[in-house]
Amino acid sequence: MSEFVEKAVSVPTETAAGRRPIGLLLVAIPVFLVIWLVIWPAINAISRTIWRTDADGHSSFDLSSYAFFFSDRYSLDNLAVTLWTTLVCAVLLLVICLPIALYLRFSHGRLPAYVQALAILPMFVPSIILAFAFIRVLGPNGMVDILLNAVGLPKIRTPYLTPWGPVIGLVWDNIPLTVLILLSGLGSVANQSIEAARDVGANTIRVFWHIILPRISNSILVALSFSVLGIFSSFTLPYLLGPASPEMLGPFMQRTLRDVQDPIGAMTQAVVAFGFCILFGLFYVRSVARNRGK
Amino acid sequence: MSVLHIAEVTKTFSGGTHAVNSFSLDVADGELVCLLGPSGSGKSTLLRMVGGFEQPTSGRITIDGEDVTHLPPERRPTGMVFQSHALWTHMNVFKNLAFGLKLRRMPAGEIREKVEAVLELVGLAGYGDRMTNQLSGGQQQRVALARSLVLEPKILLLDEPFASLDQHLRERLREEVRDIQQRLGITTLFVTHGQDEALSMADRIVVMANGKTEQMGRPDVVYRDPKTPFVAGFIGTMNLVEGEVTNGQFTRSDFTFPLPIADGPATLAIRPEALDLTASDTPKATVHRVTDYGSHGLVDLDLADGTRLKSMVAHPDLFRTGQGVDLKPRAVAAYRNNQQIFRS
Ligand SMILES: Nc1ncnc2c1ncn2[C@@H]1O[C@H](COP(=O)(O)OP(=O)(O)OP(=O)(O)O)[C@@H](O)[C@H]1O
Ligand SMILES: [Mg+2]
Repeated sequence: MSEFVEKAVSVPTETAAGRRPIGLLLVAIPVFLVIWLVIWPAINAISRTIWRTDADGHSSFDLSSYAFFFSDRYSLDNLAVTLWTTLVCAVLLLVICLPIALYLRFSHGRLPAYVQALAILPMFVPSIILAFAFIRVLGPNGMVDILLNAVGLPKIRTPYLTPWGPVIGLVWDNIPLTVLILLSGLGSVANQSIEAARDVGANTIRVFWHIILPRISNSILVALSFSVLGIFSSFTLPYLLGPASPEMLGPFMQRTLRDVQDPIGAMTQAVVAFGFCILFGLFYVRSVARNRGK
Repeated sequence: MSVLHIAEVTKTFSGGTHAVNSFSLDVADGELVCLLGPSGSGKSTLLRMVGGFEQPTSGRITIDGEDVTHLPPERRPTGMVFQSHALWTHMNVFKNLAFGLKLRRMPAGEIREKVEAVLELVGLAGYGDRMTNQLSGGQQQRVALARSLVLEPKILLLDEPFASLDQHLRERLREEVRDIQQRLGITTLFVTHGQDEALSMADRIVVMANGKTEQMGRPDVVYRDPKTPFVAGFIGTMNLVEGEVTNGQFTRSDFTFPLPIADGPATLAIRPEALDLTASDTPKATVHRVTDYGSHGLVDLDLADGTRLKSMVAHPDLFRTGQGVDLKPRAVAAYRNNQQIFRS
């Protein structure tokens, strides 16, 4: 009898033990890749920017490259314009994508399908093509100017090569992902819970504020952190559409490395960018954890 | 004092479905009316039009004489209890109940009093701090009911609120709802497709088919005297036998029964409890199966052509499979062209 029980109990543990190496292997691959491709270069970059080797071959602890970054007017302006662009893009993305997602979730028929296709389209357009389309339409003597000229109106002040250039490009580029994430969040809001709110006297705005928004706050966080992280370290669009000075950290790093030939400076900029991204990440994790706890 | 008046209401969906077809109903003050019907008969659509979630294609709905046909749900004096998934999972029970009162700008102290009183009423006193996902299915539906009741609606609407619960719980909640409804004297429209639910709790039932009223009346009257073969078959268990009447004699296979109506096809309806079985040298039917329920028995019978009938008997041990029996209906109704043409 006891033998039988023992056997019955030991069977599941045996199979679990048998599965464990495969499970570990499956986890090990991504962990290894992350260590190899992300953590190791990050540690390497950080150590190379703080353990500097001088001309005599002595290596010593040295924060001078950071001191330079945070005292250099130009570097600080670039950091500021990067943060500004990221913030403005995040706000614009929310303001644009939330209504689109709400519309897609709560209307029926053929039209929403077309709107959805249109909203997802930018995902399939490479940034380079997007940038050149932007220049052809909004650039100097672009399509808008030609149309305005045709009806006798003055030309627009083109956003091309101003900080608004990258903003417009990056917002456009990030609309699909943001809409999709918000839409999946809205999918978890049951129709009946909304109808119940209307039933007890909530109008459309109250339903949105008290019922829908709390349910999708996590999705908003996910959507924003995805786009914020991407925008903060973006390269192509700011490089092609943005002003030469101040420039976003992406093109700034590239220029410091290639044109100025200052690898330590570029690495310092990268570490600073990395630090900000970690801050965003921590904020995101904390908010999600807090929402979960509620 | 609240009366609901539904006049000639029609709902045609964009696809062309006539979900509700020129439907009229008056619900008296404090009355509980059950809408009963098969799936797709338009019960939910009708209820949703009363609650304001669907706009009628035509017709009028008034509550206490006030036309509410075109008011949005938030401005109607109705409270709706949905089938499921309607609680706000990001709020605890107290907040779920207080939400509507807060929208009405009621002072916090008064809100607390009211919510606690209603929680007490539905048997959930002290559950205010629970999150909704920490409640059982039955408790969740009680919260949903309480959330509607706390606003003291003039009309309470329930759309199969217990459909997702098990039999026992359903029966208990059904009784509780009936108690609360009578205590508060609240005018109620209740959708169900469980006929036992309708028969046990309604003041009046409305049997719907294809968006129309098939029959309405007191549950016992509808049960005893169904006006159409559809209602006869839908409410309770009923033997519906199609046959021919010639010279005042209804015939189906070997089974005959005197029926004083004009010659032609007819459907004979016999309740199992009104169909007596006797031993006979010239049997009309064969016993197929005997089921003993303790308090009574149910005998399944086959006519010679295979038509299956059911009979409720007091002593099931008197019958066994394969036995030949004679049929003695005590009360029948006959239908022709969907109309009742005879009743005994
Ligand atoms: N939004 C809608 N669009 C189109 N047709 C609909 C819609 N809602 C319901 N219908 C149709 O209207 C008819 C009645 O539906 P309804 O939901 O009122 O039935 P019901 O009696 O409540 O059925 P059940 O017992 O299954 O809940 C059905 O044929 C259904 O397909
Ligand atoms: Mg329904």
